[in-house]
Amino acid sequence: MTDQTGDEDDIMIRAEGVTRAFGKNRVLKGVDLAIRRGESRVVIGGSGSGKSVLIKCLIGLIPADGGRIVIDGIPLSHATRSEVMRRVGMLFQGGALFDSLPVWENVAFRLLRGEDERVDRARARAIAIEKLARVGLGPETADLYPAELSGGMQKRVGLARAIAHAPSIIFFDEPTTGLDPIMAGVINRLIRSIVSETGATAVTITHDMVSVRTIADRVSMLHEGVIRWTGPVERLDDPGDPYVAQFVRGAPDGPIRVEGAA
Amino acid sequence: MNPLAAIGRSTLAFLAGTGRIAIFGSRGVAALFRPPFYWREFLRAFLFIGYYSLPVVGLTAIFTGGALALQTYAGGARFNGEQIVPSIVAIGIVRELGPVLGGLMVAGRVASAIAAEIGTMKVTEQIDALVTLSTSPLKYLVAPRLVAATLALPLLVAVADILGIFGGWMVSITRLDFNSAVYLRNTVDFLENGDVISGLVKAAVFGFIIALMGCYQGMHSGRGASGVGRATTLAVVTASVLILATNYILTEFFFSV
Repeated sequence: MTDQTGDEDDIMIRAEGVTRAFGKNRVLKGVDLAIRRGESRVVIGGSGSGKSVLIKCLIGLIPADGGRIVIDGIPLSHATRSEVMRRVGMLFQGGALFDSLPVWENVAFRLLRGEDERVDRARARAIAIEKLARVGLGPETADLYPAELSGGMQKRVGLARAIAHAPSIIFFDEPTTGLDPIMAGVINRLIRSIVSETGATAVTITHDMVSVRTIADRVSMLHEGVIRWTGPVERLDDPGDPYVAQFVRGAPDGPIRVEGAA
Repeated sequence: MNPLAAIGRSTLAFLAGTGRIAIFGSRGVAALFRPPFYWREFLRAFLFIGYYSLPVVGLTAIFTGGALALQTYAGGARFNGEQIVPSIVAIGIVRELGPVLGGLMVAGRVASAIAAEIGTMKVTEQIDALVTLSTSPLKYLVAPRLVAATLALPLLVAVADILGIFGGWMVSITRLDFNSAVYLRNTVDFLENGDVISGLVKAAVFGFIIALMGCYQGMHSGRGASGVGRATTLAVVTASVLILATNYILTEFFFSV
C-alpha cells in the first residue's frame, strides 16, 4: 500500500526519495512520505531500521544525502534553520532535558534563549507552568532539576517543552521507551489529546504497538531503508503485507530475518 | 605495509584534523559577533574556569616558585651567583612557568570538563534539542566558553605569578637565608613590563586553546560512555600538546621583538 497523494496545500510534510548513508551503511535508500496537515502518522520499524535518522532528516538535524523534503510548503534545502524550527517541536527518546537548568527553564528554554522572539522571565515562567499543567505536572515541579524527576516525569517535561511555542508539527521519538506500561499509557493519551487539541501534525516513531494503536491515524512501516507499507491504523491487523503482519504480531518467524534468532 | 604510504596517510589525517579544528574555531569566533550572546553561560563558564581553578593553579605556582628558588640557588652557588635567585624566579615564573604550568593544570581540569559536558550533551541528544529549540550550539555552548577561558586564564596566571614569586621568596628567606627586603627589591628591579605582558598574552592564547579543544572534542564525541571518555582524554592531550607547541612559537616571537 503506498502513501496518500492529494492537494499539495494539504500536505504538511513531503519526502521524496530521501537517502542517507553513514560510510558504507545505507540507512535510508529512498524514503517517500506524504503527511497531511493535522494527521498523526506513526512510523514503525525494527531496531536499527533508521527511524530516528528519518525524523532527524525530516527537520534537517541530519542532512539527507539525496532526495527532496518539503515542510509546510517550504523545501528544506531552501529554508533557514529558524524557519523550520519555528514550526517544529520534538520530544526526544531520553527527554534530552538540560541538566543544569530547572524544569521550568527547560520548558521555557526557547522563550528565554531561542533566536526567534523571546519573552521576559516572568512571562516565560508563567507559560512554562501552564504547559507543565497541561502534561499533568503541578507548579511544585517547576523548580526541580531533571535529575530529581522520574523517567515518566522527564518525558512529560520534554513534552511540555515540545509544545511550549505552539508548533504546527510535533515529532515524537520513541515516546514510551523505558516507561512502565501505565506511564506509557499516560504518555500515549497525552500525546493523543495534545495532538487533537492543537491540531498539530504529529510524526511518531516507535515499535510499541500499544502506542501505535493509541496515537496513530495512519501508520508507515520503514524496512530496509524504504517505506514498505502505509495505511490507516485500522488496517494494521489485516495489512495485506507479510512483513507488516509479522511486525505487528511480534512473530519471530516470517520474512523479517533477525540476526542471531534461532 | 608501505611505510611511505603510512606516513602519507598520517600526514593527511593530521592536516585534515588541523583543518577541521581551524574551521570549528573560526565558526566559534564568528558566533561571537552574531547576536544573541549568552551572558549567563559566559558567567557560569568564567566562574568555573577562573574562580574554581584558583586552588589548583595557586598551589602549583607556590610549589614551583619554591622549587625554582632551590634549583637556582644550587646552580648559582657553583659560580658564586646565589644572588640571581630573585630575578630568575621572577622571570622564570612570569615569562614561562606561570602561563605554561597554569595552562597545563587548567587544561587537565577544564578541557576535560568541557569535553565531558558537551560530549554527554551530544550523546543524550541535548545538542539536537538545542537546535530544535532555535538555539545555535555554537553560540550557546562554544562562544561563551571561548571568551570565558580567553579572559580567565590571564587573570589566573596573574595570580599564579604573584603566588609563584611568593613561593620563591618564602623558600629563599626560610631555607636560603635571603634578606626579605633585598629579595623583594631584586624581584621588582629585574622584572620588566614586557615580561609580565608576554606571560599574560601566552595565558590568553592558552585559554583559547583549552576551550577550543574541550568544545571541539565534546562536539565530535563518539557514542556512549566510551565515546565521551575518549573525547575527554583527547581534549586534555591535544590541549596540552598545543599549549607546549604554541608556547615555543610565542616565546620565539617575544624573543625576537
